[in-house]
Amino acid sequence: MATPERPSFARREGTFEREPARRVFAAELRETRIHFREGDDEKSPTYVLLPTGERCNRVFLVGTLTEKKKQGEQNMFYRARVVDPTGTFFVMAGSYQPEAMQQIARIDPPAFVAVVGKPNVYETPDGATLISIRCESVTAVDKETRDRWVLDCGLATLDRIDSMASTQYGERAQKEYRTDPAVFRKMVFEALSQLRL
Amino acid sequence: MDYSSMTERISLKVSAKGHEADTAKIEGKLRRLIEEFGVPPQEAERTVLNELARDLSIPDLGSGPGTAAGEEKQLRQLSSGDWATIEAKVVSLSSSFSSAISQTGILADSTGAMRFVVWAKANAPRLSVGSWYRFESVVVDEYKGSPNLKVHSGTTIKEIASETPLIPESIPIRDLTPGIGSVRAKFIQEWEVSHDRMLQSGLLGDESGTAKFVIWKEEGKERLVPGTVYSIYYALVDEYQGRISLNLTTATVLPEEGDIPVSGGEGVFAGALVHVAPGSGLIKRCPVEGCNRVLSRQNYCPVHEIQPGFLYDLRIKGWLDNGRETREILVQREVTEQLTGISLHEAKELAENNPLGMDEVFLRVRERILGRYLTCRGREMDQRILVSECGFLHFDPAEIPGLLNRAGGSS
Repeated sequence: MATPERPSFARREGTFEREPARRVFAAELRETRIHFREGDDEKSPTYVLLPTGERCNRVFLVGTLTEKKKQGEQNMFYRARVVDPTGTFFVMAGSYQPEAMQQIARIDPPAFVAVVGKPNVYETPDGATLISIRCESVTAVDKETRDRWVLDCGLATLDRIDSMASTQYGERAQKEYRTDPAVFRKMVFEALSQLRL
Repeated sequence: MDYSSMTERISLKVSAKGHEADTAKIEGKLRRLIEEFGVPPQEAERTVLNELARDLSIPDLGSGPGTAAGEEKQLRQLSSGDWATIEAKVVSLSSSFSSAISQTGILADSTGAMRFVVWAKANAPRLSVGSWYRFESVVVDEYKGSPNLKVHSGTTIKEIASETPLIPESIPIRDLTPGIGSVRAKFIQEWEVSHDRMLQSGLLGDESGTAKFVIWKEEGKERLVPGTVYSIYYALVDEYQGRISLNLTTATVLPEEGDIPVSGGEGVFAGALVHVAPGSGLIKRCPVEGCNRVLSRQNYCPVHEIQPGFLYDLRIKGWLDNGRETREILVQREVTEQLTGISLHEAKELAENNPLGMDEVFLRVRERILGRYLTCRGREMDQRILVSECGFLHFDPAEIPGLLNRAGGSS
């Protein structure tokens, strides 16, 4: 179902194209720092640049919800940690994501969850970068769905690594992150190895 | 963007009047208007031409109310803003609802076809279908995104004798652009008409894709037969929100023998269900024959107002996503029941006996399918699939070794 590569900003006039949800392991997302807006409109979508070379406006991940914390009084929001074979995703849902907030409220950790959300890069006062996922939905799923995701994410990551030299965002990632493909191959290898346990 | 053809058109017009044309300057002006100011190309071309006409004192260049008949052209060469003289055949006439318009229809020559309009004020002779005419000094502009020929009071029309047989070239549905088009296609799906004046609507398909069509009620118009292949000449092609649709009201439609493959329609897509849209789960439909619209919470149909005798239905609307592309999926009742394990009957009971009502069904449907891997098959239109078959994708450990090799292979 591959379609020819289009220029990044080409949206067919009048049609709405939903941003695909990228599959990315926690260990790769943790290294993500570059974020940018495509187009000069205030409403143009924002992206983070994945170290393996893809722009990413939305992610889909399945992992284990290990912790959730309700914070704030007037502007209540949830912070949660979702773990995959490579590390931890920091997930949050605030009053602008009431559906996701209610979904998290109903799930007791630990539980397998499927998360759809938008990655956001933050800088802390001491200069460190943090990336968290503002979620659109959090659904309790079974282990089979988690395993299916690890495969899916492994495949997507390998595809990105293998085409890094030939895509616009691959080249950019190599320049910005000095990505060492071997590191990410190893990450995929280890994640997949855990499926056999 | 390529400015060369526009620049050439302008410089030809200027040099034809004996003036020197500075192509670099023309191109610069076009580029500035289009890129910096977002002026549509045709408008930019007209602006530059008018500006040159003013600067060089050429009165009848451009689209000002000149007296020249314009050069002799064929339909394919015409673009918005042109003044020209053409010879063409009237292949279709349609009724007009405005008293300002005396006649409207389609003109064709061996190179193409175009919509035309004769203004009432033009005092032009009545044109008849099947005759050839010479039109001196017509003007081309754009109407709903496609070129349109205007016959105005300065146009001279003469009937001419021509034996040129016109056989319009059929093109694949995928290649249709707004204007006039001819296709050879199969009537693959009939839809409910959504308007009193509509005779028929549905979907046409050929090997390259599908397009919606409509026929409006008019005397002598007949309905098409589903499953039949038709040669359709001179249909009006419109584009709305990126989708092409054909208006066959004034087209010549000839049934054909045999069958053609229609491939564009059916599609398969696998991915994770990343969104379940509102309007999924249990819904109420308007019971009026042929309506079937979804009612609001207050049982309100946008056409038939309050309908307490609604019919329940079950469906899923959502987005499937494979990490690179997305498809909107629309799942009808039977497949929804099979996928969620909730029957329409159970859903009704749930809604009637639960304080959350229909929301409870939505929540349960969502819990069972959101975030799951699915593969969907069905009729595909643009980004949307009308799902006729759908199943969960399972985890297959046999896929692991291959991926491990790929990951470990070259490190």
